Parts: sequence; C-alpha cells; structure tokens
Amino acid sequence: MEGCKAGDRKMQELLYRQTASKMLAVCMRYAKDRMEAEDVLQMGYIKVFQKIKEYRGEGSFEGWIRRVMVNTAIESYRKNLRSLNVVEIDEAYEQPSTGFDFSRLGMQDLMKVIQKLADGYRMVFNMYVIEGYSHKEIGETLGISEGASKSQLSRARAILKEEIIKMEGFGYATYTG
Amino acid sequence: MQPTPDKDFDQLFKNAFEDAEITPSRDLWSNIESEIEPKKKRIIPIYWLSAAAVLLVVATGILVYLQQNVNPKQLTSYVAPKAHKPVVVEQPVKDSAVTRVEPIEKTEAVVPVSAKPVTSLAKTITKKVVKPVEKQKIVTAPEVLKQEIMVVKNNEPKKDIKAQIEEAILQPGKETVIAANPTTIKVDEPVNDNDEQNIKNIRNVGDVVNLIVNKVDKRKDKFIQFRTDDDDSSLSSINIGPFKIGKRKK
Repeated sequence: MEGCKAGDRKMQELLYRQTASKMLAVCMRYAKDRMEAEDVLQMGYIKVFQKIKEYRGEGSFEGWIRRVMVNTAIESYRKNLRSLNVVEIDEAYEQPSTGFDFSRLGMQDLMKVIQKLADGYRMVFNMYVIEGYSHKEIGETLGISEGASKSQLSRARAILKEEIIKMEGFGYATYTG
Repeated sequence: MQPTPDKDFDQLFKNAFEDAEITPSRDLWSNIESEIEPKKKRIIPIYWLSAAAVLLVVATGILVYLQQNVNPKQLTSYVAPKAHKPVVVEQPVKDSAVTRVEPIEKTEAVVPVSAKPVTSLAKTITKKVVKPVEKQKIVTAPEVLKQEIMVVKNNEPKKDIKAQIEEAILQPGKETVIAANPTTIKVDEPVNDNDEQNIKNIRNVGDVVNLIVNKVDKRKDKFIQFRTDDDDSSLSSINIGPFKIGKRKK
C-alpha cells in the first residue's frame, strides 16, 4: 500500500491483481451487465490510484477501495441518468406467496436478478441492503426523497422475490423433467 | 404476510455478495495503467519545453550581445571605442561622423528592450545621418524583426562611411585603432555578411528564430527550426540532445 501511495507502478499492479475480482463483484451489482461493470471498475481503479494519498488508514484498505468503487458506480449512474431518459418500468408485481430455498441460490443467480432490476431500484437496493446506507443518505446521494428511497426499496425487493421464484421454478422444472 | 421477512431476504443477498469475486474478462490493468501514466509522461515535455525556452532566451541574449559588440566596433571603434574619451579621437574625424556616432550607440542599447523608443530614436538619427541611410531608416513598424533589419541595414551604408572614416583616421592615428580592437574586427565582418544573407529571407517570426538559431547553433539539425516557406511559420524541427522531432531540412 505504501508503494501504491508513492506511485510505484509494480505495487499498483499488485494491488489491482489482488483486489480486482472482488471489486468487479461490487461493480457488477450496480451495473446492467459485465461490460458496464468493467468500465466502472476501470474508472474506479483510476480514482483509487489518484486518491490513494487521501486514504488515512481509517478502516480497512479494501473497505476504502470498495467505497471508491461504490461511489464511482453511483456517479456513473447519475451521469447516465442525466444523459439518458430512463423510463422506469413501473409494473405491478404480485407479492410472492411461497418461500425460497436459499441454499439453491448461488451468487451468480442473485447477481442476475439484481442486474435485471431497473437502474433506480438497483441503486437503492444495493446501497441499502449491501452497503448499509440509510434511506436519508440514499435520498441525498441520488437526489430523491427519503420516502422515494423506501418505496423503491420495497419495490425492488418485491421484484427480486418474484424473479427468484421464477428461477426456482425453472430449476425444479429442469430437475423434474 | 410475507413468507420471508425482509431482513432474512436482505441477509441472503448480503451473505451472497460478501466475499463475491468475479474475475474481469478483459485485462483492464493495461487500460488503467495507460490512464494513470500520462500524468507522469506529461511532466517530461514540460521540462523539455522550459529547457528549450531557456535556451532560446540565452540564444537571443547572445545574439543581442554579439550585435552590441559588432555594431559599435564597426561604426565607432575607428572613431571612439566606448570607454575612451571621444575627445581624443574626435579631433581627426569629421564633425558629421561624431554626431552620427552618438545616437546610434543609443539605439543599439535600446534595441532588445522595446520597439517604440527605437523608432523614435531612429527618426532622430535620420535627420543627422547621411542621405542613403535615411531612406532605409524610416521604417516605423515596431517589430523586433524590423529592428533587426534596421540595425543591420545601418551597417551596410556605414561600411562606406567606415571606409571614409578609416582613411580619415588611419592616417593621423593608426595606433589608436589597433589599440582599440585589433582582433575582433576580423570576426565581425563574416558575421555581418551572414546577417545580410539571412535578412533577405526574413518575413516572419519564424525567420527571426531561425536566424537566431543559425547564429548560435551551427549543427545540421538546429535545436529549433521553423518552416517559413509558407505564410504561417510552422515548427518544423526541434533537436535538443536526445529529444528530436521534425523533418530534416532538405
């Protein structure tokens, strides 16, 4: 890490190689697809190396890099929001009535369903559930109200549940015949 | 009535992603590296640029210094080397020669500083100087370029006068001349010829720079050179030690 601070290219590469796959998993949650995630990852690492002097040693270094990645992802989302007219599909989703078989769900599956979410839902869900932001923080960061953050979260959950059930149904179908 | 409370549901995701790793499909490192590289690379050209700027200033300084040395010697050394009291030498010389000498000395001192005083001085000179010189001197455009032409053109006709003065002086006091500047005179003259050749080609700033550089840098690849064949003088080559760009001159 000291090497990275001093701008040592070898150390920077080492840091990248050691953390990239974890950070890509973070970026993937915020992105629609792999391409977008890797773009964010790349931007995030550039920021990491530019801002590495600002890291004061508070909390883990990996945690700091992760925060940089999340912030980069949020920033990129906000940029896209401005440049694209994002039409949020507000379909009514039925509440799922059955439980889940957690053990059957892998990370890849969950990633898939998260990526399917509309951008706004995905942001709120990620920020609240995984990163632990409060609704107030989310509202401030994304420029929406606290209430909107809450409602988007519950909507996101509902959509995810339905998607998971669909997936499980498909899973059973393949197993049974 | 949800079968799975939100907390558990959230926990499912949290656990799943806690230590998730996905290997990048492309090698992004080279991209990242090239993005953070330019900052370091950009510093070097700035060093080179400043080095080039310093060299240019030094070169200009040398040129000005040379001209300051050249002109007084050619014009006045026969009459009165600056340090000497003019009174001593004045006597054998015609009055006109003396009056000519003094203002010219002033102009030469002013030349590198600014254009306006020079032109004004030049005008005052014209009144005193012999006729053939006069026409050439009424150049009022305040460009450094033209100053140079003026200064050097001054030398041209002065040579004739120089010859006259020479005759005038050499007879009464050969010794003073030799004492004044015995060796440098030889050096001055070829430099001056060189100038006259170059001046014919001066049309723009690029030419001026080329002229200066030609003077200082005798290598085939000059340390900076402009292409001035067309109207806009564009940089055609730079050569500072290991740092070389540009086409070779044909």
